[in-house]
Order: sequence, then C-alpha cells, then structure tokens
Amino acid sequence: MLDFILRRLLQGVLVVFGVTTAVFLATRTFGDPVALMLPLSATAEQRAAFAAQLGLDQPLPTQFARFCWDILTLNFGDSTWQRRAAVDVVFERLPFSLMLISAGLGVAIILSVPLGAIAALRPGGVVDRLTTSVGLLGLAMPQFWVGLMAIMVFAVWLKWLPTSGAGSVWHLVLPAATMALAPLARFTMMVRANMIEELNKPYVKTARAKGLSLPRILRIHTLRNILVPFISIAGWEFITALSGYTVVIETVFAWPGLGNTAVQAIKRGDLFLMQAIVFIIAGLIVVISILLDIIAKSVDPRIELN
Amino acid sequence: MTFTTFARSIGLAAFLSTTALGSSAWAQSIAIAIGSEPSTLDPQLRDDGGERMVNDNIYEALLARTPEGELVPGLAAALPEQLDALTWQFKLRDGVTFHNGAPFNAAAVVASVARVIDPANNSEQMAYFGTIAGAEAVDDLTVNITTTGPDPILPSRMYWMKMIEPGHAATGDIASEAVGTGPYKLQSWSRGTDLVLVANADYWGGAPEIDEATYRFVAEPGTRLSGLMAGEFDVVTALMPEFTSAVPKFAAVAGLETSVFVVGTDNEVTGNPLVREALNLAIDRQAMVDSLFMGYAQIAKGSHINPAAFGFNTALDSYPYDPDRARALLAEAGMEGAPITVVGESGRWLKDREQIEAVAAYWAEIGLNVTTDIQEFSVYLDSLMGSGPRPDAIFIANSNELLDADREMSFIYHMDGAAASNSDAEMAAMIDAARVETDVEKRQAMYGEIQQHAHDLNYTVPLFNLQDIYGMSTRMEWQPRSDAKLIIAEMTVSE
Repeated sequence: MLDFILRRLLQGVLVVFGVTTAVFLATRTFGDPVALMLPLSATAEQRAAFAAQLGLDQPLPTQFARFCWDILTLNFGDSTWQRRAAVDVVFERLPFSLMLISAGLGVAIILSVPLGAIAALRPGGVVDRLTTSVGLLGLAMPQFWVGLMAIMVFAVWLKWLPTSGAGSVWHLVLPAATMALAPLARFTMMVRANMIEELNKPYVKTARAKGLSLPRILRIHTLRNILVPFISIAGWEFITALSGYTVVIETVFAWPGLGNTAVQAIKRGDLFLMQAIVFIIAGLIVVISILLDIIAKSVDPRIELN
Repeated sequence: MTFTTFARSIGLAAFLSTTALGSSAWAQSIAIAIGSEPSTLDPQLRDDGGERMVNDNIYEALLARTPEGELVPGLAAALPEQLDALTWQFKLRDGVTFHNGAPFNAAAVVASVARVIDPANNSEQMAYFGTIAGAEAVDDLTVNITTTGPDPILPSRMYWMKMIEPGHAATGDIASEAVGTGPYKLQSWSRGTDLVLVANADYWGGAPEIDEATYRFVAEPGTRLSGLMAGEFDVVTALMPEFTSAVPKFAAVAGLETSVFVVGTDNEVTGNPLVREALNLAIDRQAMVDSLFMGYAQIAKGSHINPAAFGFNTALDSYPYDPDRARALLAEAGMEGAPITVVGESGRWLKDREQIEAVAAYWAEIGLNVTTDIQEFSVYLDSLMGSGPRPDAIFIANSNELLDADREMSFIYHMDGAAASNSDAEMAAMIDAARVETDVEKRQAMYGEIQQHAHDLNYTVPLFNLQDIYGMSTRMEWQPRSDAKLIIAEMTVSE
C-alpha cells in the first residue's frame, strides 16, 4: 500500500508540474498579459515598467526557471487583480467551493441509492419510468436555466430562500440543489443499471432459493458489489466539479467559490492567481484520486492497487 | 410566579419589543447589488469599478461634482486658485477628521499626492495623475499642487484623487481597512459575499440619512434582477434595458461611456474621406437605440466626446441616416464592393457584439464587402493600441471619468494617442495646444474647433452616449449621477 501511495504521489507531482507548465506557456503565448492586466488608459512607459516589475520582459526560459523555483518555494506571487498573495485568495475561496460540491454531491448520493434501487427492483414499472424520465430531464436541462428557475420559484415567488450570496445554510440550499440535479440523475441511472445486472446474477438467485429476503440480499451482497463503481463515479464527479464544473452555479447564485474567482482571474489576465488556482486544484485532484483508490481498496480488498 | 405576574411579564415584554421595533424603524438600512467586488479598498491603487462604488462613500477628494457634473468644493473649502502656469493652490476645509480621529490637513493632502504618484506604488490611477509633480504644504490648511507643465485639467484630476490618512496608510492595512473622511465608515467586509458601511455620525457635512448600506456582489444580471424582485436589494447596478419593464422602479441617466468606431484613416479603403462619410451616413442609429437599448441611449452628437465633459462642442449635429447618399458617396469614390474589416470584442461593454454586428450589416447594405472580426480581448487590445497596422474600423465604448475632452482627444484623435488611427499632425498640434491652454474660454473654443475638424473628416463613427440604468425597490428615492458614482448620502428611503 505504501509503495502504491508513493508511486501515485510521484505520478501526481509530474501531473501537477505538467499542468502548471501548460498554464505557464498558455498564459504567456496567447495575447499580451501586461495589456490585459493594465487599464486601457495605461501609457507605453507604464506597460514597460509593469512588465519589468513582474519579470515579464525576460526571455521565456528565464521566466520559466523563475516560475519553477517559485513553485518549489510555494510562492505564487501577488494577484495583480487583488494586490495580495494569490495563494491567500485561493485558500479563501476554496472552502466555499468544497462546501458547495460536498453538499450537492452529498444530496445526490443520499437520494440516488434508494431511487436507483427501487427503480431496479421493477424495471419498466411506474417508479422506474418516472425515475428515468426525471433523470433524463435533469441531465438535459442546462444548469444556468435550472438555477435561474430555482431562484424565480423558491426565492422570488415563494420567498422561502435567498436569491444569492453566502452566509447561512439557507444560502446553500438552492445552489446545492441545482448542483445535485445532474449527478443525481447519473448516479441513479448507474445504481439502477448495476443493480439490475447484480440482481440477475446466480448468487442472488441462490440466496433467494436459500430463503434470504430481498432487502437482506440487497444490503449484504448487492449494494456492496455496486459500491466500488459508485465510489469511482462519485469521485470522478467531485473531481470534475472541482476542476470548474461549478462555475455556472457559482455565477448564477453569486456563490463566492473558486470557479467564479478563476473566471475573474482569466478575464482580468491575472497570471499569478490563475497559476495558483491551477496548481492547487491540480494538487487537490491528485490527492483525491489517491484517496479514492485507497477507499475502493478498503471496501473491496480484491482490488489490486497498481 | 402567579398568573397575574406572568401576564404582566408578557405584557412588559411585548411593550419592550414593540418599543424596540419602533426605534429600529428609525434606522434605515439598504442593500445594493453591484456586479463586481472591490479588488482592494486601497483607494489609490486600482482603476476598478467595484472599488470605486464602495470607496466613493468612504473617501473624499478635494473637489466633488454635483449630480449634474459641475465641479464644486469637496474637502477643499473653495475651488482652487491658479497661482502660476504650474501651481494651483487649495484652501482646505477646517475641522474635518478621518474616521480614526486623525485630522484632515495639508499634510494629509501632501501625503496623498505623494503616495499616488510614487512610481513604486505602480498605481493604475497614474493615467489620471501623470501630470502632477507634487504637493507642498503652505500652512496647515493650504496646499500648493504643482504640475510638470501647464495643466488646465488639474481641478478635474483632484476630483478623482481620494485623500488618505497618512498614518493609517503607513502602518495600517489600507487594502482591507478603509479610513477616510467620508459620510460612511467601513463596518465589515466578508470577501466574496458582502461589505457593510455605516453612517459616520461625525461627518463634517452632517450625518447621512441612511444608517447602513450593505453591498452584495452579484455578477449575473439576471440574479441581480431576481434579488430586486424578491425584495432583497434596494438598488441594483447595470440593469439591462430589457429588464426595465420587470422591476418595481428604475432610473436611467446619461453615463460616461460613448460607443464609437475608430476608423483607420490611413488605410486603403477607409483612407478615402468619401468612404468615411458613407460609413457615418449608412447607420440607422435611432433604430438601434430603439431595438438594442429600448430607448435608453442617446445618439452621439457627431463625436465620441462625452456631452457632460468640458470641451464638448454643442454645435455639432448627429450624423443623419441617409443610405442613398452613402451609396452615392461610395460610387463617387469608386469603392463599391470594397473590402473592409470591422474589429471588435464581445462581453466587455453593454451590447458590444450586437452594436458591432448591426453596424457591419448596415455597411454591407450600402455595398461594402464587410468582414467582422470579433477578437479575444487581449488580441483586441493589441488591435486597438498595438504597434501593428490599424484596423479599418474598430469598436470601443470610450469612457471619460475626468469629464474633460482632453481624455478622449488624447486617446483617439491625437495621432500619437494609444487608440488613434490617423496621421493628422495638424489636429495633433491643436490638441497639444489646447491641453496646456489655461484660459477656460479659449480652451473651450479650441476643443470645439478640433471636434468640428474631426467631424468634417469623419475620423470616427460615433454611435451612442450610453445610459446607466439602475433598478430600485419601490421605497428608494434616488436620482443617479452623470459620473456613475453611487453616493449613498444622496439616497433616501420613503418608509
């Protein structure tokens, strides 16, 4: 296990380095970062001074060497937009994103298992058809629209919840529900499909022949068998959400997460903040994927970690 | 406790709570939704709309403007006196203190000027203060501000420069703890979520009517609208024109931005003055005002200079819509079917892409072979201000915060201007001369002449003076300003 973790960590370091290098090259190749960072009215002298101050007037290899050294020393520089350490901005917004993703995926996970299981017990039945239809609808509707509709109904008409912002658990309800919709549909369909497959396997028939009740079979055998693929798909959802999937929701609900901040950093050409965001997100994704492997192994010891 | 005692207690509690509610009704608080959060509360570093919307209430400048745009004394006791071509003297208001109790005096002005022009601070606002050489205290309430050359715009510049408390700027956290002289004090700032200001009871101009204002940062216009309709917000900024019919109340005011195409006057096709005239005559601006802006924009009067700015030539007329004449001009120039490229961007300014595409269609209609090139913003900036060949026509929504024509003339008309697309040395000399002319009437006349010259030669295709639209709750009473400042002390609530 330790050998596996060390190997994955090494791979992770390479991945993070590769991603940040790509970001470094992209931000310096497309367009002029200094022009983006300064206002339209800045003079040529101000642009030159700013470029020199940030080291952007140096040759690309020199900039890259400095960039690598800075990363090794965890110095991402100051956000040119916020005029403070880029890493502070990231760690200030990251908890909001994690809170939103955890709440959204948590709801999706909790609801999808019983829904998928019930649908699988009677394929083609009323519950199954209803779950599948609603699930398809959940997947098809754009988050932007769902979010605005949720605001319109629950905040503007019914006045049950706040329209936007953060600050209380009530502020989290609508964005988390919007966030949950598509993963809920995907999880439910996955649970349903895997459950149907499992229920048709000989061990279920044997167990039933031996007199075990269906709920007991589900609890002891079937659910455990579908848990590993479930963990991996849930982990994948988490990683996808973390890497920017929540931007739309954060924008619609004015949720102060990292996705929103990343978009602002891109719009304002804030190189240092963009680099810090990418580096920290890439690092988190590596750690999460290792954790997922470890969890999967502990749930099903038959899995080989290599 | 007997039943009677219990009942009395309930009665007393009810009375006290009613009294408390009654007294809290006197405390007026409002919520304002703005599109972007301040990046910092340091009032001297950034050129940032979110920062200004908050700091305009915390900090003050030596001069202020009336809602109509007239320069009036702010922290200065009177308008400045020009001692010589390079020196302006300001007498300061007596008895003003910063929120931390420190006095506002000449030393604070000297420190504020020195800090904002210090190259080490790399202030984005240097674009407004580049001509200032320094400041010197004459006595505790008198300051001389010197310029590097004759600078008739200095009073406008000092309307833009916020005064900081030197002690706090040196040792405090000015980026997140604002200390100004203004009618509102910072109470709290939850980054990403909201920022709360409270009334400054000791304000030299008298305590403002609204006791507390909460800013919420909501980038999505639809969400701002929803918040207004749900009763969460009292004011929302940048309301889309199509939403005006949906909100409880709104106010629109002529803003600082003018949309315009800068024409490449040295280019093969657009170098021909007849073609440029045709470009101006081909556009049905009124139709665009009605359809794109629902009427909330004015057709620009023949130039991109803001009508509220000093130097605006009121004698100019808007270019008429005359497509037949435009076609005839193209024929006369032998340019029928000639290719032109229209450059622009999308998402930076209100309805930018829509304006670009509509105009490109009008130009195609009179017989030009139009290619529209919507560029990524940094590429666009290079097209607008880079050293490469100038585009045939490039769109920009030009803003003028100082409300002086020099800003727009230097930027777009002057041949060395960052966004200029002409080689008109004569016009450049006229702009240079006007910039250092300190006689107000002469300078006004010079700007009038420059505008007429550029208008006659169709150097630009001005489109619209854009309006700022604010959505409001029914209880809000407020007339927005022409300089786009969101001054809470000018707001009242009717309940």
